[in-house]
Amino acid sequence: MGQRSRHRLRTLVIVGGDTAGWMAAAALARVLDGSCRITLIESEVIGTVGVGEATIPSLAAFHALLGLDEREFLRATRGTFKLGVQFRDWHTVGETFLHPFGPYGVNSNHELFQAYWLKRRQEGCPTPLEEWSVTALAASLGRFGLPMGVLTERLARKSPAGAGSPPPQDPSSPLRQLAYAYHLDATLYARFLRTYAEGRGVHRIESEIVDVRLAPGGLIDAVVLRDGRPIDADFFIDCSGLRSLLLAEALKTAYIDWSQWLPCDRAVAVQCESVGDPGPVTQSTARECGWQWRIPLQHRVGNGYVYSSAHLSDDEAGASLLERLEGAPLSEPRFLRFKAGRRASAWVGNCVALGLAAGFLEPLESTSIHLVQTGLARLFTLFPDRDFDPAISAEYNRLTALEYERARDFIILHYAASQRQDTAFWRHCRAMGVPETLDYKKQLFSKTGRIAMLEQETFLPASWLALYAGLHVWPERYEPLVDMLGGGDLEARFEGMRGSIRKSVETLPGHAAFLAGMAMPSAQ
Amino acid sequence: MAPSAIRKIVIVGGGSAGWMAAAALAAVVRRRVEEIVLVESAQIGTIGVGEATLPTLRAFNATLGLDEMEFVRKTQATFKLGIEFVGWNPERAFFHGFSDFGPDLRGVSLHQLWLRMRAAEDERSYADCSISTVAAGLGRFGPPIANRESVLGSYSYAFQFDAASYAAYLRGFAEQRGVKRVEGRIVDVRLRAQDGFVESVVLEGGGSVSGDLFIDCSGFVGLLIERALQAGFEDWSQWLPCDRAFAVPCARIEEPTPCTRSTAHEAGWQWRIPLQHRTGNGYVFCSSYISEDEAAATLLANLDGEALGPPRLLKFTAGRRRECWKKNCVALGLASGFLEPLESTSIHLVESGIGRLIELFPDRGFEPKLAEEYNRLMARSYESIRDFIILHYHASRRDGALWRHCRNMPIPEGLHYQIELFKARGTVALYDSGSFAAPSWISIYFGLGVFPRRHDPMADLIQEAALRRELDRRTHIVAGAAQSLPTHGAFIDKHCRASH
Repeated sequence: MGQRSRHRLRTLVIVGGDTAGWMAAAALARVLDGSCRITLIESEVIGTVGVGEATIPSLAAFHALLGLDEREFLRATRGTFKLGVQFRDWHTVGETFLHPFGPYGVNSNHELFQAYWLKRRQEGCPTPLEEWSVTALAASLGRFGLPMGVLTERLARKSPAGAGSPPPQDPSSPLRQLAYAYHLDATLYARFLRTYAEGRGVHRIESEIVDVRLAPGGLIDAVVLRDGRPIDADFFIDCSGLRSLLLAEALKTAYIDWSQWLPCDRAVAVQCESVGDPGPVTQSTARECGWQWRIPLQHRVGNGYVYSSAHLSDDEAGASLLERLEGAPLSEPRFLRFKAGRRASAWVGNCVALGLAAGFLEPLESTSIHLVQTGLARLFTLFPDRDFDPAISAEYNRLTALEYERARDFIILHYAASQRQDTAFWRHCRAMGVPETLDYKKQLFSKTGRIAMLEQETFLPASWLALYAGLHVWPERYEPLVDMLGGGDLEARFEGMRGSIRKSVETLPGHAAFLAGMAMPSAQ
Repeated sequence: MAPSAIRKIVIVGGGSAGWMAAAALAAVVRRRVEEIVLVESAQIGTIGVGEATLPTLRAFNATLGLDEMEFVRKTQATFKLGIEFVGWNPERAFFHGFSDFGPDLRGVSLHQLWLRMRAAEDERSYADCSISTVAAGLGRFGPPIANRESVLGSYSYAFQFDAASYAAYLRGFAEQRGVKRVEGRIVDVRLRAQDGFVESVVLEGGGSVSGDLFIDCSGFVGLLIERALQAGFEDWSQWLPCDRAFAVPCARIEEPTPCTRSTAHEAGWQWRIPLQHRTGNGYVFCSSYISEDEAAATLLANLDGEALGPPRLLKFTAGRRRECWKKNCVALGLASGFLEPLESTSIHLVESGIGRLIELFPDRGFEPKLAEEYNRLMARSYESIRDFIILHYHASRRDGALWRHCRNMPIPEGLHYQIELFKARGTVALYDSGSFAAPSWISIYFGLGVFPRRHDPMADLIQEAALRRELDRRTHIVAGAAQSLPTHGAFIDKHCRASH
């Protein structure tokens, strides 16, 4: 161990053991490497929110930090691969589109691709957006293979790359652009990370917390367990979920309410049996008063209905969800309540909140785990010592606020641009208005075909294009750039690209077959 | 081609900004428009003297398809690895180079590791980890290799060139590609009655040039954007009080240095920009603290060769045009705003203005959202550079009335926030569209003696002895790599010596 600075954190307590809590424990144990005593306090009584959970591709970076093996992770969490989100009935009932991960085109500048694609469309030769992305095409064909980089790395390590056809060796293969994330069982994921963290010295206490003691300066001194024992620490991480035991209840940090733009405030979740092979996409189906998710795992399917309680009763929502399951339910429906928004400050004094304790955005774009992960990354960059310099937490809070707002805007767009008028809920969404930042982006796109990127965006222009196109928000023009650089060469290049995308995707095995070779427990 | 496409572009003014715009539009947009005209008057001098640039110019030149060595020969250019700051910190000179300080170690940035060793009373300099700094100190230069993993592939470079030659070079390029040059002095700007758009510029003697899109490169006066369209000017002199400059070339020094030098003086600072055939010099000063005569005398007394003419006086006000794009007119260069050349940003701002204009290229409908987005992006670029320049003055510990004023003046809120964060932890807060990355900010903070109260605690997780060994290893590699480069003069002789 290095120099023991007299300011360094000696002890750290994580409150709450869901996905967020164990992600924090695992990452801190890895990075702090024994320099700080880490304790996680969780209560089985409270139970976890985690159901079937979908992620976005950034999770791979988190696993790389921890040094996790992908096969082991998939086995332990009963995970499947995810290439994007399929949106059904969002524009109008009967319309479907895909928001795939990764870029459009092959090594192409996004602006140029977009201008080309929009131009062809305006000229009366529209092509499906899905044909321009290896990820999207693989998703619509139900195929999957690991991106080239990963495959070659595996081959270099002489570990088998899994079932399916041999990997293409062409270094210019469009498959290099394939981007993926996972569907996982959140409870199993937390358990998996718990094993990891405990193996690296994280101390777990099972208890409810009945009190939080503050020191005179407003810092948290200790949390008090059910048996009356106080657990003190230099630094606290609040992963207690929506309740936000430390940041909200003890430190009285205000909540910024976004429900004027995101009216859904309830969800009901239930697992059901799989009736077929798991597909490599999350499904989001717009419903009468919200939307329904479908997250395929190896052994079952996670389902949930996110809805607005002003428009639908819990009983109706529960019944409506059960009606639309593909297989027999495996559990009683569980109800969750929430309010879209974020804590005014995610970090106050010696306490930082991660996950639902920091803010809530409905899982429409699978951002929850991602936001935990980026929160942790930010915490490592701005890691505190015992001075708790307010300049450090101010920077953490500035970046966190921007990141939440950018993700919020992207999610709001799904509702705000929907053309549905069939229920009071959807009529409400059309009338509700949007934040200024989103209004700016949407107008800029409608008038000019340009996608503006602000600070701390989670979703890149390709994602915005997928959504605009899927919801039929069309610009009045395409960007003239394509005419300037254009001509026949450009058309030949792009059309060639489309062909090579299809050809390369057709070499991939089916998702289920790939998964079977890769991740199914071999003993079963 | 869309029915409402821009048919004719008129560029007003032929300095570096005007010919850069002409060349870039000729290269990229020409196919789409019928005509590009540049109006300039030989009577009106251009500001361009010895001009230093940022590495982004290489991308601009590449877009045009220029051959780099030919460009260097034609513009009497030298190579630039960064800027040497003398007298800004009374204790020592420092360097702002076009490279970082080396890769992170276990996720911790090198400047934090250095701070940690400094706290342990290790006296090495962070600058020894910067390849651009070490190479410039040795007067050596060679272009970086393609391998970014290697220290010899981890830096970038820019140029110092003769601005008038650059304009002339680009004029040749643009004219070859069909840009039409019209010689004449503009005496009036005609606006369309119905919407106030620029209709035409009227030349002395009665001729006029009309067009769909006008690009105002007329310099400080902003003939179209300000005089005719009254876009407004945001004055920043409360933060950047320097309002004059004297410029003079002097005889060349034997071996031109691969860097620009900025030397702080009593009432401002002096630039020194070595070209192949001579050296550009100038004194940027604040007229409230020194008379023009004294300033000129100071400049002449601080040249390292014989002056090649009398010093020329320039007057300016720091600030930016409120709307760089208004109606059918886009302002570039000095017509869009002025920031003193302390960090060689003028040409860079022209490049980014042109790049954004091409990305947001209008048609004759001039959708207002295009201008709005353009102006949003340009405002951010200007402001981030403004703040970076203010930092040089505000954090300097130099003595003197101007310097005390700058130390005590209120500064923009965003910069105040950035400085406080750096003082707390050495963390660089970056905003959107900032032109300078973290290593640049660190160079200036450290150079001026601004050190944080604490370093990143993650740096403490690495053992001191191991860290010392690693830093020794890196400085050794950097020193060896720098030594392996040819001298700047030898490189120029071999590849791109101007013919005379």
